[in-house]
Amino acid sequence: MSTDEPSESTDVHGHEHHEVEGPGYPTPAAMRTGSEREKTAFVMSLRVGMDVDGPDFVGVVDVDPDSDTYAELIDTVEMPNKGDELHHFGWNTCSSSCHAEGLTRDHLIVPGQRSSRIHIIDASDPRNPAIEKVIEPEEVFEHDLSAPHTVHCVPEGKIVISMLGNADGELPGGFLQLDQDDFSIDGHWEADRGNMEMNYDYWYQPRHGVMISSEWAAPETYYPGFDLEDVEAGRYGDSIHIWDWATKEHHQTLSFGEEGLIPLEVRMPHNPEETEGYVGAALSSNVLRFWEDGDGNWDWEKVIDIEDREHPDWDMPVPGLVTDLLLSLDDQYLFFSNWLHGDVRMYDVSDTGNPRLVDQVWAGGNFGDRGAVGGHEIRGAPQMLQLSRDGRRLYWTTSLFSTWDNQFYPEIGEQGSLMLKADVYPEEGRMELDEEFVVDFGDAPGGPARAHEIRWPGGDCTSDVWQ
Amino acid sequence: MPYAVTLKWRDGRETTVDVRETETVIDATERAGLGVPYGCLYGACATCTGRLLEGDLVHVKRPRGLKPRHRQDGYFLLCVAEPRSDCRIEVGAEIQADLVPNPWK
Repeated sequence: MSTDEPSESTDVHGHEHHEVEGPGYPTPAAMRTGSEREKTAFVMSLRVGMDVDGPDFVGVVDVDPDSDTYAELIDTVEMPNKGDELHHFGWNTCSSSCHAEGLTRDHLIVPGQRSSRIHIIDASDPRNPAIEKVIEPEEVFEHDLSAPHTVHCVPEGKIVISMLGNADGELPGGFLQLDQDDFSIDGHWEADRGNMEMNYDYWYQPRHGVMISSEWAAPETYYPGFDLEDVEAGRYGDSIHIWDWATKEHHQTLSFGEEGLIPLEVRMPHNPEETEGYVGAALSSNVLRFWEDGDGNWDWEKVIDIEDREHPDWDMPVPGLVTDLLLSLDDQYLFFSNWLHGDVRMYDVSDTGNPRLVDQVWAGGNFGDRGAVGGHEIRGAPQMLQLSRDGRRLYWTTSLFSTWDNQFYPEIGEQGSLMLKADVYPEEGRMELDEEFVVDFGDAPGGPARAHEIRWPGGDCTSDVWQ
Repeated sequence: MPYAVTLKWRDGRETTVDVRETETVIDATERAGLGVPYGCLYGACATCTGRLLEGDLVHVKRPRGLKPRHRQDGYFLLCVAEPRSDCRIEVGAEIQADLVPNPWK
């Protein structure tokens, strides 16, 4: 069954455990093996922090190799306002909603990181999406929240968005809950925040009633750019938080200290039986594993350490900066990016506590020896990742965050960033840069743009959770 | 009476916009379609950073995205800044990038 056609034909799936039809797949294996190849990619595309007088847009990229417009930006959905900094986005429903009748995976929830504006996009025709509703910042500020980040659809007809600041862009952050029917704001998701102040990404395992959230910093701290003074002053995060998914109460804090500075993306296995996961600590450039110890408490260990590297022209050793990571749908491979070094890595995590590096692709960055793809200069380095559902194609974009781009890769702010791809051979445990695939957002209609997070119609391994 | 605020880009471009009493510089540049960068519009994100070259400019809300050293150096967040005299302000995306250089380089 294609998952890339207008949604009318995609919303009916069997379910091996329940006599209920829903918008997702009954199991991660069903999604991995039962869906067709991705044909369309939605890509967050930004003009924030550039001298391009235009709004951010959702880019529609053709990723169907049989199409005449393969590897081209075929549509752009411009935001009604400028200055949003579109960053991460998500679906109204996913495989976790498989017990909810009548829902269709047909709306994208697209927040603006800087504006705190939340856009609802009707994507029922993946090649002709359109804005349906806009939640204005003032409606968000009423709940003393700002800076929306991770969007997950969750069971019981809700959408939860991690929010990084209060209405003034200061700490604490929290979680905003929307209703899946009319996209109205319910209020805060959390019932008791405990000692959680900083927020960033989150993942949940509904079968075990647990949610894990990570920490960046206060919006007023990270918005203007990365300043080591802020790290020394303790203004950046070094912990993750364990939440009781049922009671919505804070349960435990795991503090990593120097080993886990700025823990960003959180990924748990797609297998809903699992009670462990990984988080990438960007500044410490470590991948940390966390797990439930059997008594309802959680523990952690460092499983991957990226060594800083000396750069001949730089004063201090340069960290890799692990900015994104993901797990394949069969939970066998972990991929992550080192945005300052310039590589994307593939680890076999069959033995979850002992990840084994199997391959690495260098493209752009401060240490990569490959400076161009298909005649296009690589501006930036591997950053936001998205893997095909069958685990055979890894795509990435090269922009991180407008002000941080302008600090570390200023050419992105002037000429836009890129979307690239590697072919992955899971049976052989290797990957290879596809020199034929490059989408240069420097050529976007209306002027250069920064390309950020990628999603597929039909779901993907960073948005779907199974009950 | 509005104030005449002259905006100067680093590529040499210059233009003057009238900024009304109790109007932020960004509101005036948007009204005039001048394309000065901005983000949050409440003084937290610093996307709209400009540098005052001449004149009297005041913040009407706390510019959270600026540190004391930035304010001492004449940087303003134009989304929460209003003129109190005719001004000359350096604008454009490069100005924000002045605030925090690459710490490893």
